[in-house]
Amino acid sequence: MQSADCELNDKQEGYRKYRYYIHPDAAVTMKKNKAKASSNTEKEFVFEFRAGKHNCVLKVPLQFPVQENISDLHGRLMLLHKIPCYLESELKNSLSSFVEKETILDYDREAELALQRLTTGDVDVNKLTSAWTRSYVETTLEHARPEEPSWDEDFANVYHELIHSPASDTLLNLEHNYFVSISELISERDMEIKKLQERQAAEMDKVMHELGNTLSDQDVNAVASQHFDAQQVLENRWASELKQVTGIQKHEYQEWVVKLHQDLQKSNNSSKINEEIKVQPSQLSEAADSGARMFEEQPQLEESFTIHLGAQLKTMHNLRLVRADVLDFCKHRRHGSSGAKLRRLQTALSLYSFSLCGLVLLVDNRVNSYSGIKRDFATVAKECTDFHFPCLEEQLEEVQQVVLYARAQRSSKHKDQPETQKNGGDDKSKNVERNPSNILPGEFYITRHSNLSEVHAVFHLCVDDNVRSGNITARDPAIMGLRNILKVCCTHDITTVTIPLLLVHDMSEEMTIPWCLKRAELVFKCVKGFMMEMASWDGGVSRTVQFLVPKTISEEMFYQLSNMLPQIFRVSSTLTLTSKH
Amino acid sequence: MRSLKDAQLGAFTFFASALPHDVCGSNGLPLTPNSIKILGRFQILKTITHPRLCQYVDISRGKHERLIVVAEHYENSLSIFQKPENTPSAEKVLQIAYEVLEGLEFMNKHGLVHRALSPNNVLMDCKGNVKLAKFGLYHMTDHGADVDFPIGYPSYLAPEVIAQGSFHPSDPSRDEAPLPSGPKSDVWSLGILLFELCAGRRLLQNIDISERLKFILTLGCMDDIVTVLAEEHGCLDTIKELPDSVLELLRKCLTFLPSKRATPAELLRDPVFNGISCHYTPFQKPVSLFSSSLRCAHLVLPDDISDLCKDDDEDYLSERAIDEVYYLWCLAGGDLEKELTNQEIIQSKPPISTLPKYKTTYAQTQKTERLAVFISILSLSASRLHLLFSFVLEDGETFGQGRDRSFLLDDTTVTLSLCQLRNRLKDVAREAYYPLLEDEQSSLPQSNSSNELSAAVTLPLIIRERDTEYQLIRIILFDRLLKAYPYKKTLVWKEARVDIPPLVRGLAWAGLLGIEGDIQAKYEGIDKDTPIPTDRQIEVDIPRCHQYDELLSSPQGHIKFRRVLKAWVVSHPDLVYWQGLDSLCAPFLYLNFNNEALAYACMSAFIPKYLYNFFLKDNSHVIQEYLTVFSQMIAFHDPELSNHLNEIGFIPDLYAIPWFLTMFTHVFPLHKIFHLWDTLLLGNSSFPFCIGVAILQQLRDRLLANGFNECILLFSDLPEIDIERCVRESISLFCWTPKSATYRQHAQPPKVAGDNGFVKTSTYYSSDYQDMPKTDLSREPLSLGDLKAEVSPRISAEDLIDLCELSLSGSSKRNKTGKPKIVAVDIRTAEDFNRGHISGSINIPFNTTFGPENEVVQCPAAGGLQSYRGRVIVVISHNMKSAAMVRKQSSTYMCAAPQYLKYFYMKKI
Repeated sequence: MQSADCELNDKQEGYRKYRYYIHPDAAVTMKKNKAKASSNTEKEFVFEFRAGKHNCVLKVPLQFPVQENISDLHGRLMLLHKIPCYLESELKNSLSSFVEKETILDYDREAELALQRLTTGDVDVNKLTSAWTRSYVETTLEHARPEEPSWDEDFANVYHELIHSPASDTLLNLEHNYFVSISELISERDMEIKKLQERQAAEMDKVMHELGNTLSDQDVNAVASQHFDAQQVLENRWASELKQVTGIQKHEYQEWVVKLHQDLQKSNNSSKINEEIKVQPSQLSEAADSGARMFEEQPQLEESFTIHLGAQLKTMHNLRLVRADVLDFCKHRRHGSSGAKLRRLQTALSLYSFSLCGLVLLVDNRVNSYSGIKRDFATVAKECTDFHFPCLEEQLEEVQQVVLYARAQRSSKHKDQPETQKNGGDDKSKNVERNPSNILPGEFYITRHSNLSEVHAVFHLCVDDNVRSGNITARDPAIMGLRNILKVCCTHDITTVTIPLLLVHDMSEEMTIPWCLKRAELVFKCVKGFMMEMASWDGGVSRTVQFLVPKTISEEMFYQLSNMLPQIFRVSSTLTLTSKH
Repeated sequence: MRSLKDAQLGAFTFFASALPHDVCGSNGLPLTPNSIKILGRFQILKTITHPRLCQYVDISRGKHERLIVVAEHYENSLSIFQKPENTPSAEKVLQIAYEVLEGLEFMNKHGLVHRALSPNNVLMDCKGNVKLAKFGLYHMTDHGADVDFPIGYPSYLAPEVIAQGSFHPSDPSRDEAPLPSGPKSDVWSLGILLFELCAGRRLLQNIDISERLKFILTLGCMDDIVTVLAEEHGCLDTIKELPDSVLELLRKCLTFLPSKRATPAELLRDPVFNGISCHYTPFQKPVSLFSSSLRCAHLVLPDDISDLCKDDDEDYLSERAIDEVYYLWCLAGGDLEKELTNQEIIQSKPPISTLPKYKTTYAQTQKTERLAVFISILSLSASRLHLLFSFVLEDGETFGQGRDRSFLLDDTTVTLSLCQLRNRLKDVAREAYYPLLEDEQSSLPQSNSSNELSAAVTLPLIIRERDTEYQLIRIILFDRLLKAYPYKKTLVWKEARVDIPPLVRGLAWAGLLGIEGDIQAKYEGIDKDTPIPTDRQIEVDIPRCHQYDELLSSPQGHIKFRRVLKAWVVSHPDLVYWQGLDSLCAPFLYLNFNNEALAYACMSAFIPKYLYNFFLKDNSHVIQEYLTVFSQMIAFHDPELSNHLNEIGFIPDLYAIPWFLTMFTHVFPLHKIFHLWDTLLLGNSSFPFCIGVAILQQLRDRLLANGFNECILLFSDLPEIDIERCVRESISLFCWTPKSATYRQHAQPPKVAGDNGFVKTSTYYSSDYQDMPKTDLSREPLSLGDLKAEVSPRISAEDLIDLCELSLSGSSKRNKTGKPKIVAVDIRTAEDFNRGHISGSINIPFNTTFGPENEVVQCPAAGGLQSYRGRVIVVISHNMKSAAMVRKQSSTYMCAAPQYLKYFYMKKI
């Protein structure tokens, strides 16, 4: 506040005139206004009063629209200018009526300016009204276009209801039956392919034997390509057969589920249906037994922790460190093996619920399932029909289209704003131009699955070879990708998420013990930071985060990592060091 | 707040607009979600109470930026008149107009504009009086900027509102939000509304929105808007037949140019209402608890007193305030989201079906200022900058996510059924609603359920706070006591010792802190706007203070924080702002969010009581003394722990300063602070020591097991503390502690008694040692150095006399159970001992037990003390030095004090 400066004018018959200034800045609070610049004006409040023999005038420049409280302003004027207290209410009244009157005038002026702009044609009426229409249509139910009924949603509701009813067991058994028939087909296919390969190998041996004698290189090549073609034909045949069977299964299943639901709804006397439901499981027992032998569970190493995050208000989270293969969370196992069915039930129960399970899969920059972990994952995903969502290929196709669309969107935006950051995007945009369907490190696409054993959503996070090097930082795209993944977890109620701790699925030579420790520390710390940040995104929901390490790391290494975790996350319960006494 | 009467509770929901990915604010901190902004702005609406407005009760945030607003509600609205056979009479139209204007005028006085007037939002109570609903929507959404949907209904929008445009977030071409609408736009909407009432049909219903809006805009060229509208809708005859006053009113409302249109206030005084304005008395705002005027000034008893108690069948619950009823509704199992979901207002899709398909690391908006922030933080080399820019700042953009229909606005209000609550409370006796306060014998109402209630008192606090009946009775009791404040101050204290119902905590605390007088005027008289040097620090601290809380993290919360803190700093020129004052302010501000003056008054009363001179510019002597006394308290209550901590050098200076400087508000979340302070406010200024010791005792095992480094780590992020146990233990520690043990030289000097007319209400426990009459048996000040040298506290001769029950007056000030059992050890020489001693005391002469080098000489007497393990040992001596020596030499038993004499040391083994 600048000091008031007084201007005395005694010459005019003892008429005294005080002039007070309040520095305009003083009246402006720190609030940032959204571009309402045009309406900011300063007006002078004039208050005349008599103090003893003197006529006084108080002049206060006020910033309009007035942000602050009138009572405060009044109190401040009284204090600052030592206005006699008998004037208190008078000053208050005239101040508030002044502000009220001027505010109304401002409103009127602005309103009429807006109307004028319409009559003069500065603003197009059609554009204006269509903008209004759009905002009503897009945001309010009353004016929105009616919704088309969607089969998927109806099916989701029906399924969610059934799986939470006594019928759940039947559903699972049915699913399992389908699974068994698919896996029989697959083993048949594998057998046939194996046979073909053996036959071809024998043939090739023969040909090689004759090479240089009766046959030339060209002949060998011809045989090889012929073999390749034969293999392709066989594989394609199987693929189409599998696809067909899967389609039939899906169709049958969905129909059956809907029918069951209808039947259940129709009959209040559900005993009959209960019986109908109960019949099926016995058929399975045999298959279940053989299944148990087929899939020997490998011992997993795992350790769980409970942590509290937050400075004052603490949220509890569960952490788990697991040594396992990433696909172990996906592989569908035959019932009967320890807890497989229960796990399956758990996943099915929560499919349409508000606590989902997610898994982070590290992939390269091409959206397909031809090689490496992507291929392995696709194999696992195909082992069992997905009765709810499109199959993996279809989902990936969709993703590819979305990626292309996103690229197109962005490049058009880049053209709109040519000056924005030429320097930063250069090398990467070249990369994108080379192949617009590729994605960049740190980006990810999401696929949904109902047929994996413990996972509903898979985040395919793109990483490059950089993650194999030892010197990635918290600013690495892969880490930022993790952050974005956790953010999606927040917005879409994914409460359990599995993260590859070392940001690799397989160990290799260069991944030494120090490398592992350094990487684990980085990921632990970053994830801790993101989890604390998440509390502000979703208001503190308790979560489970599983840190996955490759199966090939040593037990020793695992325990070193499990010692590191409580130090970084401050797990209080494990701090039991012995005292010096 | 007004009582419920025939009103119902209603809830409606909407979504705040989502923020653009993750953008940082100009201060580098994440932006506040729009739902929190709305929540903060909403709060003031709870104070807008007027008979023509639906009282706002509560707002809550759901997942994904959902907000649910609870307000007074009525089933009937103006839409009942929309059927042709229901067309109201001209008088009724005038009455409705007048009542709506009353509501609008009151809103305008508080700076509010309705903007969403429509037949559905003008409700009617049972008597047919108007109640405006959703009047705060425009205010709480910052003139619609924080939500995606436009506020208002297309047919009722004033022409200038249409002309100023709609703000649509997905439209990047418009950066500017439209200008806020003024009070006159409501007058236009009212005009349309009244026209519809008169015409008996709805206007512009059959054409699409943009045609509707265009039509409204073209009305500007018409001379007589009312006639044009009537012609357009084929009801010219009906309109022509209306009385002149109604036609006049319609013309005044439907004036195209805002400058020619009247404001609600002007219209209210218009001659057209001459006939009916006499039926209405202007609304008088009820006098608040703290004001200069007489609260009972307008109290009028009916001529016939029996009128007050005429019908037996009355619904007592509906006599309670709306917010109380809502609070109890929640306790009785009410769930807003469930109610709205049952009515299919909330329709949520399973998240699995709304997952996005692809997420980039790119975003289209790139702001260089954000870059600057990050660079300054990271100071990276230029070559790394590119990477940084594209991966950090360009935040994730999602693709392949369909627009979810469940996010659309459905502004239907759902009535919350009170059946469950009434059912729950049906056994509560009628007398319970009007407890007699003058009956000193029993504070709890005598009724059938009183036995249950007294049983309920013994239940844990957490359970009591969730018990509907119990809370009802407690709230009623406190409500009545506080209405009678300060006359019933003693009873407020007494009841607060049982517990404080969360709903009335703000006022109850004010009562405990003895707030009186016209706090509002005092607060307004403080200059909170002029910049002061502390501003910068306050600005830095506020965004870091209890920000997990929705209220305190809202922009409104920050503004209020700033004002209250500045007011305190400005009005206490001898004290300064120390970091931590913000945390101290937080509970008061949270509880009195709509009453900054009370928050300020409470804080100003709290600080001298518990933190006297802690906020001096040089506060080291005060804090040092405080911490030393604290470490003596640790030694007194837990010698083993004390020895360990001293041994590893983990002194209170390292961890306890933020505890005491902020009275634990820095270390605990708000809900724990409330329970802690409920008790703290009942104790005296030495109670915080006991809380500190109680916290240490909860961590005892871990402290004992660990060395210095682990202890530092442990306290840098304090583990979860069981607060109920902490409170329980600190109370018992407090009762155990002789008062003089916590004597501090720099404590608040005794107040001059008798300057106000009220008798001091303090009891033994609530009064401070300093406030007690000083005699020659009291303790005397000690220099800081001396104090620090002593491990165990001294006590006064008075306390010793009291502890040994030697007091001649007979009536002990405390009951027996609260007293520690003591063993008095007299270390004077045998001759002195034989001359006279406290009966039962043991004589272990100092000069025989200790050798010339102050080493302990083994003697049977000393060994005999071992058998008193677990008891408090008072060492009595007339030589301070030797007494202190006894203490130092042996860690198990210790201390000294003179008989008849002056000083006593205590220590528990």
